[in-house]
Amino acid sequence: MRRIRLGHLFPELLNLYADRGNIAAIVQRAAWRGINVQVDAISLGTPIDFDAYDLLLLGGGSDREQEIIGRELNSYRYGLREAVEKGLPVLAICGGYQLIGEYYVTSDGQRVSGLSIVASRTEAGEGRLIGNILIESPWMDNRTIVGFENHGGRTYHDYPPLGMVRTGHGNNGEDGKEGIHYRELIGTYIHGPLLPKNPNLTDAILRSALAYRGLDDTLSPLDDSLELLAHQTMVGRLSNG
Amino acid sequence: MIGIWLGKLVTVLLKSMGRRGTSLPGLIALRLSPHLLRKLGRQVSSCVIVTGTNGKTTTTALIKSMLSADGSAWIVNDEGSNMVQGVATALLHHTSWFGRLAVRRVLLEVDEANVPRIVAELPVTLAVVTNIFRDQLDRYGEVDMTISKLQEGLAQADFPVVLNGDDPLVHALGSKRKDNVSYFGMTAHERTLTSHAQVRDGAFCLTCGNSLTYAFFHYGQMGQYQCNACGFSNPDLTVEATPTARTLSVTTPSGTYHWQTPLRGLYNQYNALAAIAACVQLDVSPSAMERGLASCKPAIGRMEVFPTTPEWVLNLVKNPTGCNSVLQTICEDPSAKRVCICINDHDADGRDVSWLWDVDFELYGPLLRVTRWICGGTRSADMAVRLKYAGVDPTLITVSESLEETHQAAVEGSSDPIYFLCTYTALYPLHQVMERGMHHATDTPRASVS
Repeated sequence: MRRIRLGHLFPELLNLYADRGNIAAIVQRAAWRGINVQVDAISLGTPIDFDAYDLLLLGGGSDREQEIIGRELNSYRYGLREAVEKGLPVLAICGGYQLIGEYYVTSDGQRVSGLSIVASRTEAGEGRLIGNILIESPWMDNRTIVGFENHGGRTYHDYPPLGMVRTGHGNNGEDGKEGIHYRELIGTYIHGPLLPKNPNLTDAILRSALAYRGLDDTLSPLDDSLELLAHQTMVGRLSNG
Repeated sequence: MIGIWLGKLVTVLLKSMGRRGTSLPGLIALRLSPHLLRKLGRQVSSCVIVTGTNGKTTTTALIKSMLSADGSAWIVNDEGSNMVQGVATALLHHTSWFGRLAVRRVLLEVDEANVPRIVAELPVTLAVVTNIFRDQLDRYGEVDMTISKLQEGLAQADFPVVLNGDDPLVHALGSKRKDNVSYFGMTAHERTLTSHAQVRDGAFCLTCGNSLTYAFFHYGQMGQYQCNACGFSNPDLTVEATPTARTLSVTTPSGTYHWQTPLRGLYNQYNALAAIAACVQLDVSPSAMERGLASCKPAIGRMEVFPTTPEWVLNLVKNPTGCNSVLQTICEDPSAKRVCICINDHDADGRDVSWLWDVDFELYGPLLRVTRWICGGTRSADMAVRLKYAGVDPTLITVSESLEETHQAAVEGSSDPIYFLCTYTALYPLHQVMERGMHHATDTPRASVS
């Protein structure tokens, strides 16, 4: 039986936007193919053996929680950067997406250092970027990804994005890009949660975790009629107005 | 005066069109007369406001029922009119064309973000805070925003405040007040839990930022808590209760009483307790409180039982904790049942439906004995996906579009009781569909028309 290990980083602080839905999507879709996913909750301060994991999830939190984490990141920076360079799959959502960058500037001008995995920066802006969002993802054969964004931070970087915005704001509401895709790291502001009604994306992430572990990454097809109904319903709504 | 007249005209117009008019008259009146509330407020002798994330409507209805039993007349705003324009509308209904308020005591359910403005405009004499949970993420951003709005509102004046001492977030609102704050709460009882994975926003001490440890939980983040760092813990209670499934044993400064609580669910017993604590401050007699409790009919969608066979029960759900409470209460019914969930995503429902993933369907699903799940509303497909990933067999899930279709799918072909859960904008329409459906079910068969 194929097995992979998922590390859920700092869930006691970064668990604001239904990250459990993303974990459920990965665990269930794997289980339906007979693949076992072990989920480890890793609290802030615990040392991480990056070689032991095939996939890491970094979720979203309130400003208060993200500031707490910002102060404790030093011990993780080197190990995580190395692992990402080697191709470790990472899914960083909302607050997590901000934390993998170099820094973010809060609304009162404070500069909080991030993990510096990628050269992105985030700045608080006027008001929040909120609403349903539809993007097209070139590395997923231009398939659509649909969800909901809610962020005060505007993120800027020069890496390939997760996708181009068709409806919604994206990273900063200016350049039409959403998220980041670097090696096997995906950062995004899209929650909803992200994975359940984007089953193709979930399967792509599952495949990259299997491949990283050196396992066979074929995934038998599943009956995705409910997921695709939810997906297409939103795509339809967001394409019309 | 123009503002008042126009507001009253709009009310009349809306009524003639068969519409409810809970906010529009006030909105228009305030545009013309921005100080309308302040002006009307000068005629108000008592003003009680009820706020918090869940339970505002039920708690307000219970307080109204108790005050009524005690023989006093109060203006009360309808559910759905708990923002500034709705409050203005409610007052307008009782204002004469000469601008005089017919009744000078006002009891208001107030939306959390609107508390600062209401306190600024009206002479509030008592405030009640039921609880603070993560509600609609896209309306208020985060819990922190709700807390800061409430703090801002309560800091403006010195009126007495009645707070839920079992909720560490609400308790923190009272820490700056010395004399004019009182707390209500519950003792441990048969339904307390020693641990659970329910979403908790009270997990951190608001005073010093460290985590809270709990001896036990009632629901959500309510329970017996202590901060290991600064010692913040449950306050002394003015009103304390021990609940059983259908009763409440309450101790107030005037004695201990054993009363029936006709509204189902622990969370409703908390609402009853909040109402009792408020009425203690208002010097309502214990016998009036008992009568008020007994005679209070649930408001629309609050464990609202329809007189059908099989039983239909309608529930409003707004956020994970509230939805978990409803599911927990449904578990108390041991029979096989159908559950129909209608999720809309208009502004008032919260456009972000990710909160569904923080509802414990994984836990409650297997316990509920559901023979069919029917999903409706604008986000019916999202609801179905949620259930699938919670472990529900997809062949037991029906996805419908219109509320009529959804209701039809829920009732046909089964004699199991049906629990309807819905978000706010689906509530009145679904209620109407259910009322029509109820009458059809009891009509004698009609001759067909060719």
